[in-house]
Amino acid sequence: MTDMYNKSKGYTETPEEIEYELRAKVGSVWSGGRLFIGMYTFLLAALAFAYFYLRTANSGLQWRPHNMTAPTAFGWSIFALEALTAVLAIYGQWRLRKGVVLDWQVAVWTGVLTSLVALFLQIWETTTLPFYPGASGYSSTFIGWVVINIATLVVGVYWLETTVARSMRMRKELGKDNPELSSVATARLFRANVASMTYFWGFVALSGALFLALFYIL
Amino acid sequence: MTISAERPTEVAASSATPPMQSGRVGWTQRPGWMSQHLGTAIVLGIVGYLFGHWLGNAITGNYAYVQNSGQNSAANFFALLFAVVGWLLGIGALNYPFAKLLGREPKQEPTVEGWSKYFRYTLDHKVVGLQYVVGVLLFMFTGGLLAMAIRAELLSPTTHLFGPGTYIEIVSEHGTIMMMMATSIIVGPMGNYFVPLMIGSRKMAFPRIEAFSFWIFVAGYAVIFSALPYGGFPTGWTGYAPLQTQAGPGMISYLFGFAVIGMGMMAAGFNIAVTIINNRAPGMTWSRVPIFVWSILATAALLTLATPTLFAAGLFGILDKTAQTAFYVSEHGGSSYLWENLFWFFGHPEVYIMALPGFGIVAEILPVFTRKPLFAYKVAASGMIGVALLSFFVWQHHLFQSGINPDMRPLFMLTTELISIPTGFIFLVGMGTLYRAKIRFEIPMLFAMALFFNFLIGGVTGVFLSDVPVNVTVHGGFFVLSHFHYTIMGGLLFAFMAGLYYWLPKMTGRMMNKKIGLWHFWTMFIFFNLTFFPMFIIGLLGQPRRVFTYAKNLQGLNDFSSISAFLLGASFLLFFANLMYSMYIKPVKAPANPWDSLGLEWQTASPIPEYNFERIPVVMSDPYHYSEVGAPPVADLGTSAPPVVSTTSGSSPA
Amino acid sequence: MSTENSMKKETHHLRRMATIWIILSVAADLLFMFWIAPHVPPGTMTDTARANQFDFNVLFLMAFPVLIGVWVYMGYAIVNWSAKRAGVPEPIGGPAARGNLKAQVSWIVVTSVIVLFLAGFGTVALIGGKGSGGGEGPNPVWMPAGSAKAETAALTSSASWTPGSNQVLVVQVIGQQWQFTYRYPQFGGFESPKLIIPNNTEIAFNVTSLDVIHSFWAYQLSVKADANPQQNDVAYAKTDQLGNFTVRCSELCGIWHGAMFNYGKVVTPSDFQNWATSTEAANAANTKNLPPFAWTYVPDANGAAGGYYIDGNVTPYSQVETYGAKQPTS
Repeated sequence: MTDMYNKSKGYTETPEEIEYELRAKVGSVWSGGRLFIGMYTFLLAALAFAYFYLRTANSGLQWRPHNMTAPTAFGWSIFALEALTAVLAIYGQWRLRKGVVLDWQVAVWTGVLTSLVALFLQIWETTTLPFYPGASGYSSTFIGWVVINIATLVVGVYWLETTVARSMRMRKELGKDNPELSSVATARLFRANVASMTYFWGFVALSGALFLALFYIL
Repeated sequence: MTISAERPTEVAASSATPPMQSGRVGWTQRPGWMSQHLGTAIVLGIVGYLFGHWLGNAITGNYAYVQNSGQNSAANFFALLFAVVGWLLGIGALNYPFAKLLGREPKQEPTVEGWSKYFRYTLDHKVVGLQYVVGVLLFMFTGGLLAMAIRAELLSPTTHLFGPGTYIEIVSEHGTIMMMMATSIIVGPMGNYFVPLMIGSRKMAFPRIEAFSFWIFVAGYAVIFSALPYGGFPTGWTGYAPLQTQAGPGMISYLFGFAVIGMGMMAAGFNIAVTIINNRAPGMTWSRVPIFVWSILATAALLTLATPTLFAAGLFGILDKTAQTAFYVSEHGGSSYLWENLFWFFGHPEVYIMALPGFGIVAEILPVFTRKPLFAYKVAASGMIGVALLSFFVWQHHLFQSGINPDMRPLFMLTTELISIPTGFIFLVGMGTLYRAKIRFEIPMLFAMALFFNFLIGGVTGVFLSDVPVNVTVHGGFFVLSHFHYTIMGGLLFAFMAGLYYWLPKMTGRMMNKKIGLWHFWTMFIFFNLTFFPMFIIGLLGQPRRVFTYAKNLQGLNDFSSISAFLLGASFLLFFANLMYSMYIKPVKAPANPWDSLGLEWQTASPIPEYNFERIPVVMSDPYHYSEVGAPPVADLGTSAPPVVSTTSGSSPA
Repeated sequence: MSTENSMKKETHHLRRMATIWIILSVAADLLFMFWIAPHVPPGTMTDTARANQFDFNVLFLMAFPVLIGVWVYMGYAIVNWSAKRAGVPEPIGGPAARGNLKAQVSWIVVTSVIVLFLAGFGTVALIGGKGSGGGEGPNPVWMPAGSAKAETAALTSSASWTPGSNQVLVVQVIGQQWQFTYRYPQFGGFESPKLIIPNNTEIAFNVTSLDVIHSFWAYQLSVKADANPQQNDVAYAKTDQLGNFTVRCSELCGIWHGAMFNYGKVVTPSDFQNWATSTEAANAANTKNLPPFAWTYVPDANGAAGGYYIDGNVTPYSQVETYGAKQPTS
């Protein structure tokens, strides 16, 4: 046993207990990832509610005078990069399950890159808007979307980076022989985490498509 | 994501896993001046505040209305943002998120010994629980003082103590601070402390998120009071929009404060929900989960799902005040109704965030003090889930007179009245459990019974409020004020007190003094009712909320209510006196199971070992087999020590 | 204790409780009905107030048995089943104490029936009461006969009102920090700080605000409608009695919210006619300077609604400028 906590406290854990707690932890990562998506859904739903509410109310006929639209080139590129990152994450996980860890690492590093570019574009876009934030209901909700999307991308890129960094450190610690695929505790947690992360990126791409439609297409 | 320390399975044991962080000491073991604790958090918080304030002014310095004033919403926002970030850095909440970027696993450090662990980013759920006890008492005490100030002003029908500006500031701070406190008052202390013990787990699923939820909660306290030097905010705790847009920079403290507290609520709810789902001990099936855990699960679901809406609403408000968007400005395509809807879409589930844990505590305590099984366990659990679900569909009853689409009103009247059905389940459970029982009137039981008395009045008046024709008279008046004080204070706070008197012996190993406790209970119960019952009448006679002047003929009732309120405040002093007396001045050692409870949390050793259970318990039945001959023990604790069993006369579980 | 014996005991308890409950509930309800009910707010000054008072009283009459039922039960339990009391038998345990299908089902059925009845009753009262005096927003669905016609006419300059014409009187309530003023479109749209209305007349209150949200609460008329900027909120009441009534703001609207109240008066139709025509004449010069009568008023110092210009040009936007203050030209 190398568990310092147990050593220091004079506690022992039976192998069954270790396995039981590990399973709880894997389950926590799994259900935590889903619950996080649920929370995020309510956050985005609040924004979508604001969009539709203001659009329907059209106070002072100021919902969207002159059909003002944020730069669509930015919108499409950001969405494309988000979708690409999601595809990379999903592809990576598929390769990981096939046992090709290197492919997963390359895919996720590429995903870090693409999502960082998306983040950069999303920030840059705010400097090129053809309207002021308070110009209309549309412009307000658009600024709200920009802020939330920046937050989403920061969370997403952080999650991507930490999983791949974990994978690399795991190799350093446990040897190069694909420790990610072993039944070591840390590897099992790692795989649960990757699954949740991939799921989250799928969610990001889907919600990105919804708001792309709302803000740039409709 | 918190990931376990090296706890290799049999496979890993053979591979060459280096012991964690060998040769390095964790931050908690560094010398005091280097380690992270409350002191560093405060210092970095202040540094962050100053930096943010400078930055905000640097960015928005060209705005006409902030020129040379050193005060504007953007500066205030950045100041608070960086203050909170500095605070988190200082307390050590960000150590692991940064280490994770390098792929490191969490350091599973042993908890620091001694009192200083209570001032640190400690991961033990029992420490967090006690931290929360102190935290919510701090909130409650401050908010209570503000309430005293309000009642002092209302002694006279004209303005006499405070100017109207100060009065509104006090009212707004009181409402906001109490609402923030009430969202965490049971989930924080008792949820964090007892949920793992009750489900037979050795720890929380995400101890770092748990510690984060507490420390951000404390940061929220500082943020909400940072409004005071800016003249506070004039909107009350509801922050209605055109007034919000019109208000000064103090409004940012409200909006950002709710966002900060909201993060704490989401974190706490997230962690607890995941823990209950995943960390139940073997044999702890859903039909054996203690009813308190059910209530906390329902609450956690509301915390995680409703709070993001508040977060978004606050974000939009901050954008309106800093980036000059127009979410709530109807001249520019926004709508003040947007705030009302978003706020109450969160706000109504929040009301049940405050009610459900109280139900849970009471339902948990009743069987212990009646020596009977919980009546209609499944009805109780389904009632809690039912309330949680329905609470998402009632929010527009706050807007009955606001000019919403009128045909929505019968619908929301229906849903609001429907929610009283699952709420009524708790009365069925309580009354069924009391039936032909053997009631022991210990202090926790008295508080639990008082909840039924108070909440009944609160609930029945709630039905009055949901009826639109009656709502025309009572909306926005003292009637509704009294109603929600009856449900939140009369319900939640009494349940909190019941829980404290019930569980403090396990948490601290010391019994609360019964004599002072009786004085506390009776003064609190009597003066609570004497304070708030007249307010129903005051409201019916036409006094709106949040006013500093009122009709002269209402002075008698208002004075009566004020004087009772001061005595109610004194009753809280009695409680603090009891706390000090029983915990520090003359502590009496508590037995391991002073109430002869069958609950799993009472079966473990006292004081509770850091790992809660020597062996992970195997649960064999629900903890409500009171007065049952031949009932199975609650759990196999796997230890040599005999489990603590009920010793009620005449009933001896085999 | 045999099962038969305990069954007997059970009915005994319940019967005793039921007896106490019935006696107390009937007593409370009777006392309430004859002693308090006639004085329950909002009184009887309008037909809406009367209807809402009836609604209130129905709720009270139903609430007392519920309250008393639980209290009697609790009190009975405290007195009879206290562990300190001598001779309390050991409580029943096991499945018998864990639930009782009959009790559970009847509880759920009874509470559901009460709740559904109340929801139905409230809906009927709401619709029958023309919105019960609550603000119905800009497009009311339940309204007294003739109000749509009167309100449509109110926007034209030819609108008029005479006593005895059985016509709806349109009154506009304008909330601003921190007072209410009233405009009478059927009398040339003059604006007055006094709210005077004729008796035996259907009044259509059109409530709006110039700044933040207020709430127009005419207590004795049983009218409450939020005053929202840029929105009209309509509420109805038919006056029934002469006398004074109180108007208070019941939505927090800033620091002087507590001081935002005044008094209105219900007078005879002919008195009202006299007052309105004379005030119209006296105020004629002022009325000319007012914006033409409209359901809402938008403050505009900066073009139509500020910010975005009709010609498509974007101009710097500032909230301060919109509200009329000029920016320093630095």
